[in-house]
Amino acid sequence: MTHAEQATSESGSPAASSGSEIEQHPAVHVPGDGHMWVMVLGDLIIFGAYFIIFMVYRAMEPQEFLRSQEHLNINIGVLNTLVLLASSRFVARSVQAARGGDHALALRLTYLGGLCGVAFIVIKAYEWSTKIAQGYTISSNDFFMFYYMLTGVHLFHVSLGLLILGITARELRNPRRRRISMVESGATYWHMVDLLWIVIFALLYVMR
Amino acid sequence: MSNTISTHTSPSASTADTRRAKRAGKRDVWLVFWIVPAFYTAFGVIFFALARVMPPPRPDVTTDQMVHFFHAHGLTIKIGFGVLVLILGGAGVANGIVVYHMKRMTVGSVLAYAYLGSMSIGALPGCLLVAICFLTAVYRPGRDPQLLALLYDLGLLSYVGSLGCFSTAYFAFAVAILYDRNQIFPKWLAYVSVWQIVTEILAVPVFVSKAGPFAWNGSISFWMGTVIFGFWLSCVIVFLMKANERQPVDEAPLD
Amino acid sequence: MTTTAARTTTYAWILLSAITIVSWWLAPGHARGAAAVASVPITLAVILLAFIKGRLIIRYFMEVRTAPRWLKLFTDAWLTVLWAGVLAIYLY
Repeated sequence: MTHAEQATSESGSPAASSGSEIEQHPAVHVPGDGHMWVMVLGDLIIFGAYFIIFMVYRAMEPQEFLRSQEHLNINIGVLNTLVLLASSRFVARSVQAARGGDHALALRLTYLGGLCGVAFIVIKAYEWSTKIAQGYTISSNDFFMFYYMLTGVHLFHVSLGLLILGITARELRNPRRRRISMVESGATYWHMVDLLWIVIFALLYVMR
Repeated sequence: MSNTISTHTSPSASTADTRRAKRAGKRDVWLVFWIVPAFYTAFGVIFFALARVMPPPRPDVTTDQMVHFFHAHGLTIKIGFGVLVLILGGAGVANGIVVYHMKRMTVGSVLAYAYLGSMSIGALPGCLLVAICFLTAVYRPGRDPQLLALLYDLGLLSYVGSLGCFSTAYFAFAVAILYDRNQIFPKWLAYVSVWQIVTEILAVPVFVSKAGPFAWNGSISFWMGTVIFGFWLSCVIVFLMKANERQPVDEAPLD
Repeated sequence: MTTTAARTTTYAWILLSAITIVSWWLAPGHARGAAAVASVPITLAVILLAFIKGRLIIRYFMEVRTAPRWLKLFTDAWLTVLWAGVLAIYLY
């Protein structure tokens, strides 16, 4: 009887087989398909390494990093953070809407999330162009090389995220293509993009 | 009597059958497959031990030091890269068998050809050019140091900096895997290929950086890229093997 | 049409945005060009806040709150190792 309860209450997560988990939550659930979590967890580890390497080089030239950091526009950094947080909220809400069967709402929220993503890219492009105009390029010094490379590879992830959200939207539009696993996987990826930016913002713009 | 014989032999026969069935797949494909790990093992020995390109010598050295590098490693460069130019076809074979299995996917052949084209173009700057440059450098003993320095830079910049072709190939590979309904390769291998693209992007600064993490010998542009490439390559070889095993022996030839 | 889940998500977002505004205030002078001076307490606060923001995103947006224990442990471990590492190198 307990086995049957376990079988119906969990959804595909191998670790949730102990009785205690059933008492905590009726549905222990890994959103999306397991493969996207390979991407997310692996990417977090890889970026974690990049962040630690950044800190090591910062420790070798703290004064230069501090001085260079002054030239970053913190207002734009904050704006970008808020934009990405809002986009994550839209995407999280779209997953909830899709689960509830309201696919029209889920689609609208996916579009809104994507729109914020586009806004992020536009703001970032503006920020880069002002920095380059002021003479701070990738070869200016170590700080700026890290700045352009970290934000650049993050921007690549944002673009990929927009592609994924686009695929989610395309599937949501067609009742025959809808898959909750796709909506969830796309959302998981997008939240990872948001999470990485939080770290980048803290390391490059704020900490001193 | 025949009953006892049949009951005695049938379980072992069926286990033998199962064992044989697991190692199915087509014999010609298996032959080609084994060339892949053989080639990359040789590649590893050549690039790490003989040619000393992995890890690469530093960019932030004087001309004299570059000259010294070629003098010190002249013999092993000749042996290693001399062998490489002979066996380089192994890279083509590796690409070929990946393409073979990609063509078995439901996404059709277009992405397979994108992979093949990109990887083939990438082989010149990404593998052969450093071999030719270094072989040229050690070919005549009294060569002008300035020319040696040029060959040093040219070889190593092309080796570490040849990113675009491979990124395109990885992207085609990832898209094909994600859309394939025949499950030739596991979906997460597509994401490992995306990490490969990330490492290529992070190698772009080698063209401006002389030292530090983004130089051609840097912790980010070189080391992390190499580690992730090693992981990707291992996964690809393992899953090529599994794709071979799972291929029905009587599958129709691909067109 | 706000369900409990939607409300929770919105609260998490509000908290995250509020923390971001606080970071803005902690940053090296929000007027551009103001001198940045190294400050251990501020960096400590930044690291702590970033840890909290990260955990909020992971737990609430990525839904790790209702995920199997191994995923909770892994993500917490990642956050801890990352920020402890950053702090250790900063203080060294």
